[in-house]
Amino acid sequence: MGTGLHRVRVPQATGRWWAFAAIGLIASMPLKAQGNYEIQVYGSDTIPPGSTMVELHSNFTALGQRSEIQGVYPTYHQEHETLEITQGINDWSEVGFYIFTSEQAGHGIQWVGDHIRPRVRVPRSWHWPIGVSLSTEIGYQRPVYSLDTWTWEIRPILDKAIYRWYFAFNPALERTWHGPDVHQGLAFAPAAKVSYDFTKRVSGGIEYYADYGAFSQFDSFREQQQQFFAATDLNVSPKWEINFGVGIGVTAATDHLIIKGILGRRFNWHKPSAVE
Amino acid sequence: MLASGLITRRQFLQSSAAAPAAALTPAASHAFTLADYTLTIAPYTLQVSSRRFIRTTAYNSQVPGPLLRLHEERPVTIEVTNRTSNPEVVHWHGLFLPPEVDGAMEEGTPPILPGSTARYTFTPRPAGFRWYHTHTFAGRDLKKGQYTGQHGFLSIEPRQNPARYDAEMFLALHDWRAQLLASDDGSMNPYYDVSTINGHVLGFGEPLRVKAGQRLLLHVLNSSATDCHWIALSGHQFEVLALDGNPVPNPSAVPMLSLAPAERVSAIVELNNPGVWVLGEVRQHVRAAGMGVVVEYANRSGKPQWRQPDTLSWHYHQFESTQPTSPGNSGAIEVPLVFKSKFTGHGDLDHWTINGKSFPHTETVALQQGQRYRLQFINQSTDHHPVHLHRHVFELRRLSGRPTRGIMKDTMLVKSNTQADVEFIANDPGSTLFHCHQQDHMDTGFMMLFRYV
Repeated sequence: MGTGLHRVRVPQATGRWWAFAAIGLIASMPLKAQGNYEIQVYGSDTIPPGSTMVELHSNFTALGQRSEIQGVYPTYHQEHETLEITQGINDWSEVGFYIFTSEQAGHGIQWVGDHIRPRVRVPRSWHWPIGVSLSTEIGYQRPVYSLDTWTWEIRPILDKAIYRWYFAFNPALERTWHGPDVHQGLAFAPAAKVSYDFTKRVSGGIEYYADYGAFSQFDSFREQQQQFFAATDLNVSPKWEINFGVGIGVTAATDHLIIKGILGRRFNWHKPSAVE
Repeated sequence: MLASGLITRRQFLQSSAAAPAAALTPAASHAFTLADYTLTIAPYTLQVSSRRFIRTTAYNSQVPGPLLRLHEERPVTIEVTNRTSNPEVVHWHGLFLPPEVDGAMEEGTPPILPGSTARYTFTPRPAGFRWYHTHTFAGRDLKKGQYTGQHGFLSIEPRQNPARYDAEMFLALHDWRAQLLASDDGSMNPYYDVSTINGHVLGFGEPLRVKAGQRLLLHVLNSSATDCHWIALSGHQFEVLALDGNPVPNPSAVPMLSLAPAERVSAIVELNNPGVWVLGEVRQHVRAAGMGVVVEYANRSGKPQWRQPDTLSWHYHQFESTQPTSPGNSGAIEVPLVFKSKFTGHGDLDHWTINGKSFPHTETVALQQGQRYRLQFINQSTDHHPVHLHRHVFELRRLSGRPTRGIMKDTMLVKSNTQADVEFIANDPGSTLFHCHQQDHMDTGFMMLFRYV
């Protein structure tokens, strides 16, 4: 199932010319590293009861942070593989579990951390005109990948399909429980998606991920994370989820080029009989 | 702005509103004659359970509308007043009526405008279990058209009735509170929260009170806008006598009935198992949504019993003629009709085509009076389609590659990715509508007209 951009907020410098700027910024910025482990805008649907969704999120940072910051590995040429397993509880709730990993030259394959993500949705019987659900996510990541090791997120999810268009908006709030940002309070990290159904099987559009910083005082634009992905979804079967995208970061604090892919398969453990 | 030459069904209906009335006349022209029946179409709040109310539109403030018992070949006048804010029309489903009163604006029946009254005068035939219902556009408004409570039973009494039964009951299966949701086929489809029999959920309202030893004649109608239903009466079987009001050549006992939207089944139940039983939808989630009614034998009490069938079983072949089917040509002219869907977005209903075109751009097939035609329903979609031919009755001739004879219907279910052939004689001149009876399908192009030359 979908989730937001799992990242740890970060000043980001990509490319040779940014390296000098990044060094200069380190002194004045919170020392954070961006972690793109699962890059996806949530839809409001939950997994049906008796079903399990298994997804593999693969992301490669082609242009990212090149230098280590306070012991946090650089994101440049990091390959992230995230396994997400989501179990449907009933027709309005689910629980997701994540295993984050990273592979990088010089560091090999590393376990990064784990998250758990319960989610509830507005039941269909309420007949709301848009899909609404609420996700909360708690997890740990190792300090070599994020100085904020324990984090919590609450993510409202709104979406709507209108004819060939699909709109989703995730105005997520993040909170650090352990790490340098523990006193920062709530941070605002919205994500959004607009896509168009070119055919029954092929949809394409733009995904947007951002981190504006603390609610009490947003970061300056260059310190914010702002990322846009051109993404496509292949709707080959209700059992499969396939998404592919290329994203660019438009601020200094954002990884500048990321390639992402999602491959998901839904398993129905109980096949209802014709009379069920 | 629409491209030139492209009009929707809604626009077609609006333009046809200007057509002159024929046998449907304003009530003022009959001020001094009494109608045989009156129907008032008006907003109505239906109580489906002790705590649930549904705002809808109904005939005479009841759901289903009143049972109209008409006599075969005896002229009747039915006065209809429209107290809604939308044009309405009443279709007399299964009768051989002129297009002017059949009750489809696409054929030329004038609408009854908001606030006005009109009279339908016609001679009902053939005898059998028919029904009446609205025949208007709903589109994405799932509180209009057949999604409302505008349906009622129509019993055309034969001049001589040889049927042997002790009691007769009419049951209407209906689904309520529809919403469009994404489905596994990639498009939006209507889904329902509440399902009822005669406007009530299981356990609410009066039970069907019966007596041991009786032969109960049940007339079951599926008035749902879009959904098929399977019905069983625990502890009993159904001896199916007629489909869509037309006697079957081989009445057979079956454990359950299946009805696509607009289909009817007339069946005898031998009341030989005293107790308190549930007559309900076989599928558990639909029964849980309310589709069921308690059947209570006299002097019996207790909790209603339900015996869950393991499978769904039903096929038209069960009731076909046992006479050998002639493989030869019946002399019918073949008319292939290919049904396909057209994707218009994951946030939209599929649109539908017959031979590549959507109504009102579908071809208008010319019929010659007295000629026999073989309609080949070639369903190249993943949806089932309950197709209905107005003003005529057809005979099932081939189902999924297997020949059949003797079953006469006005509505039949063509299953997904199958072909079904039917034959009919063009014996009722006038514009004749053919369409899928699923409201969302007919609203999105699944219609065509036959015309006589």
